[in-house]
Amino acid sequence: MNMRFPIAVFVFAIVSVGAGLQTRPATDATRSPQNKESDFLTRIRRLTVEGRRAGEGYWAPDGKRLVFQSEREPGNPFYQIYTLDLTTGDTKRISPGYGKTTCSFFRPGSDEIEFASTHHDPKSKQYQQEEIDFRASGKTRRYSWDYDPEFEIYAYAEKTGKYTRLTNARGYDAEGSYSPDGQFIVFTSMRDAYNRTLNAEEKKQLEVDPSYFAEIYIMRADGSGQKRLTSVPGYDGGPFFSPDGKRIIWRRFDTSGLIANVFTMNPDGSDVRQITDFGAMSWAPYIHPSGQYILFASNKLGFENFEVYLVDIDGKKEPVRVTYADGFDGLPVPSPDGRQVAWTSTRAGGSEGQIFLGQWNHEKALDALRAAPLRVGVR
Amino acid sequence: MKRILIVALLLSPSVSAQQTAIASRTRPAVEFLASDRLEGRDTGSPGERLAGDYIAMQLARAGAKPLPGRRDMFMPFEFTAGTRDGGSNLAIRGAGGASQAFRGAEQVQALSFSDDAAVGGPVVFAGYGLVVPESQDFGYDNYTGLDVKDKIVLVLHYFPEDTDAKTKATLARYSDLRYKALAARQHGAKGLLVVTGPRSPNAGQTLRMTSDTALAGSGIPAATISGAVANALFAGASKTLAAAQEEFDSGNPHVAGFTLPTSVDLTTKVVREKQTGRNVVAYLPADPGSKVPDAGRPWVIVGAHYDHLGHGTRGTSLADKNEAGQIHHGADDNASGTAAVLGIAETLAKQRLRRNVVFTLWSGEEIGLVGSNAFVTNPPVPLAQVAAYLNFDMVGRMQNNRLAADGVASSPVWSRILERANVAAGFDLATNPDPYQPTDSSNFNQAGLPTLFFTTGSHPDYHRPSDTADKIDYEDLDRIVDFAGAVVQAVANVDMAPEFTKVDPPQTGATLAGVRVTTGTIPDYTTDAKGLLLAGVVGGGPAEKAGLMKGDIIVEIAGQSITNIYDYTFALELLKADTPVKVVFTRNGERRDVQLTPSGRR
Repeated sequence: MNMRFPIAVFVFAIVSVGAGLQTRPATDATRSPQNKESDFLTRIRRLTVEGRRAGEGYWAPDGKRLVFQSEREPGNPFYQIYTLDLTTGDTKRISPGYGKTTCSFFRPGSDEIEFASTHHDPKSKQYQQEEIDFRASGKTRRYSWDYDPEFEIYAYAEKTGKYTRLTNARGYDAEGSYSPDGQFIVFTSMRDAYNRTLNAEEKKQLEVDPSYFAEIYIMRADGSGQKRLTSVPGYDGGPFFSPDGKRIIWRRFDTSGLIANVFTMNPDGSDVRQITDFGAMSWAPYIHPSGQYILFASNKLGFENFEVYLVDIDGKKEPVRVTYADGFDGLPVPSPDGRQVAWTSTRAGGSEGQIFLGQWNHEKALDALRAAPLRVGVR
Repeated sequence: MKRILIVALLLSPSVSAQQTAIASRTRPAVEFLASDRLEGRDTGSPGERLAGDYIAMQLARAGAKPLPGRRDMFMPFEFTAGTRDGGSNLAIRGAGGASQAFRGAEQVQALSFSDDAAVGGPVVFAGYGLVVPESQDFGYDNYTGLDVKDKIVLVLHYFPEDTDAKTKATLARYSDLRYKALAARQHGAKGLLVVTGPRSPNAGQTLRMTSDTALAGSGIPAATISGAVANALFAGASKTLAAAQEEFDSGNPHVAGFTLPTSVDLTTKVVREKQTGRNVVAYLPADPGSKVPDAGRPWVIVGAHYDHLGHGTRGTSLADKNEAGQIHHGADDNASGTAAVLGIAETLAKQRLRRNVVFTLWSGEEIGLVGSNAFVTNPPVPLAQVAAYLNFDMVGRMQNNRLAADGVASSPVWSRILERANVAAGFDLATNPDPYQPTDSSNFNQAGLPTLFFTTGSHPDYHRPSDTADKIDYEDLDRIVDFAGAVVQAVANVDMAPEFTKVDPPQTGATLAGVRVTTGTIPDYTTDAKGLLLAGVVGGGPAEKAGLMKGDIIVEIAGQSITNIYDYTFALELLKADTPVKVVFTRNGERRDVQLTPSGRR
């Protein structure tokens, strides 16, 4: 899976909580009879076909391309980063082709694309072979992600083909995205687990689930001025700027790793506000270019049944369900003009996601939010 | 499309006509081919000839030519248009020397695949005549310990009635009569008799002559006999037919057959009426200046069948009583695919091609892929020189923007080519790895070529007179032409021809032969969702009565988990008419269950 997707938490829950885990009953207060998927999304279509899986498609500022991660080349069982030209259909790998990569983003006003990669790790090719051998053995594991501490953020310049390393801290650095002016990157780092002495309990925590140490950081687009913005235990991750650049939206897990909610804050870390409160795993938030509402994913309807939801920018209303398909629907990303949404889904069958694209009905979204009741507990 | 699994025999409300005012490239061909004048384009009929003439004219108009060395675009093939019994009869010589003679369809009738022969000898009762191959590691062989060499074998129709579901599921796979005839022949028997046992549905009745398009028999005389004839064969035996069946019905693999105290003289005669159908074949030559570096495979074939069911008299019609005998227009099946191929020819005629592109419009598809089989058996272009075959069958009824591409696993290049072409086309592409589909592409897959098969899936008008031109979604059919044109062009112009990957055939071998009930469900063939997605339910049928509807995904039936259409076919084999079973399904992601009561079918 992808790294903006906290799959480790998912696994952790199953392993350590096991049978004690109760998914919520499959009742759905937000599903009023007048809402259905085709109200919001039409002309739904599968965008990626090649390879075992693909996901996390993010739009170029001109809306003409997507950058995404996909496992589609023989010899490397890990994600690589590709751009997809929506006019010609041409795809192009922009990551080095070896090692693990994830979480890409176009830099506005430049020819750069950022992503996280481990290709500098001398052992990265060995890990590829180990994973290929493991799969050939017929064994399966619940997930194949390990928050490799070698992950560092790179900027790739399309014109020169040059990679510039932006982070240099032991611990997973990834999940980066640029500010609308292209001057800053918000990202997730687990460096806190490596840059100080951990107590015994923390050491144990690191072994079981390093994502406990994940916090949100900000830096300049050249990698300078790295600064920590959050310091609450539990996985803080998946940050993005708002369209006006004045807020950062992200998701925060509790220490159990089972409950996540969407939050916003100022780019200096102040004025933290909680947007969702489903008591479920609500994550992968992204603000619509209108600035009026947020798309996010939640497993409110069942532990493995993620759906995309819609909530007003202040989180005052009860979220509105957007997708209605079995399996996984998440990582929604609206196009720069706000008229399309790309998201990752398993609706084509199987357990591995692919990227889907649909026309987005902005007016219907606003109508549905107007009609939605106030969230319980909101004054 | 040949025979896809629609266990639906009742009328359902027809779909409202789609009105589109936009000039369509595909509409004229569909409207002509599906018009009353062509009378359903039954293989070998005047309507089929007229359709073939029209297609050849359209191909010529687009700029396509007859294949090198051929004068015209027509490639005729011979097929068996109908079979009837030519006076088969049977005489029993009893232990005491008395003799009884039987003739007439009520008592004895050849099976459609029978050889013509006169044979005589002792009769051996071999239970259900089932042999489960050793590879299945199941241990069930009704011929164990029996010497049937140069004898006549008598077997029961179907498979043991009283076994558990799992045993039934396994045995049902090998219960097709052709398979039983093969088993008898392989054990050296010189004739096969089949009776529907007293403990089975339609007990004691002879089987109707089914349509069979094979040009010759299957190497053994085979006949169906009535319960009365079977009882006469059992005269003087240690037990009755009913008692013998009951023993086999337990499914116990150690129950053995035995030699009956009677001998028979069996004469079988099947009259096969030979007719001629026509494939229409033309090509666009590659640009001599820009040929591909891979000179070994300079051809690509694009095809669709244009024949349909005529008036639906040949057996695979799903017309209800009120529509029986009417013209089956076949607008979606497969005037739509034919129009798509003509549209592709027109598009590609304007492009520079690096490979020769052959357009094949098949006849004889509905009667068993006969036209494409004749082509593959005796190809006018060596198949080893063909890069790939692309097939279009039922592409005119798009729903929810969904286009299925089946056979993606037959070459590693397909997913890349499809992904690229679909970025511009924008379909919700449902890819399915399986190249073994009930349409012409399977003949090419078996011949070792990479194949792709496009379809928009089934609907309530499938194989019924109501499959008419006004219901075709021409706007999306035109989109399919653009998309498919890009896919064909990619194959025609790629440097190295697509590599062929052999896909193992589905293990199940499920057929409708063993299905004796209907549930009134219409499976959606355009998805590889886990479970069986319903494209619809038949009005008034068991599924509708149970509350199932379009969009539901069946995941379990009668305790059998369902992950695909094959599982479903199997599960159906195990159901009994009028016995309610639990059906588990998901709707909008929620798991639910209902009781469904299948009804019987004949």
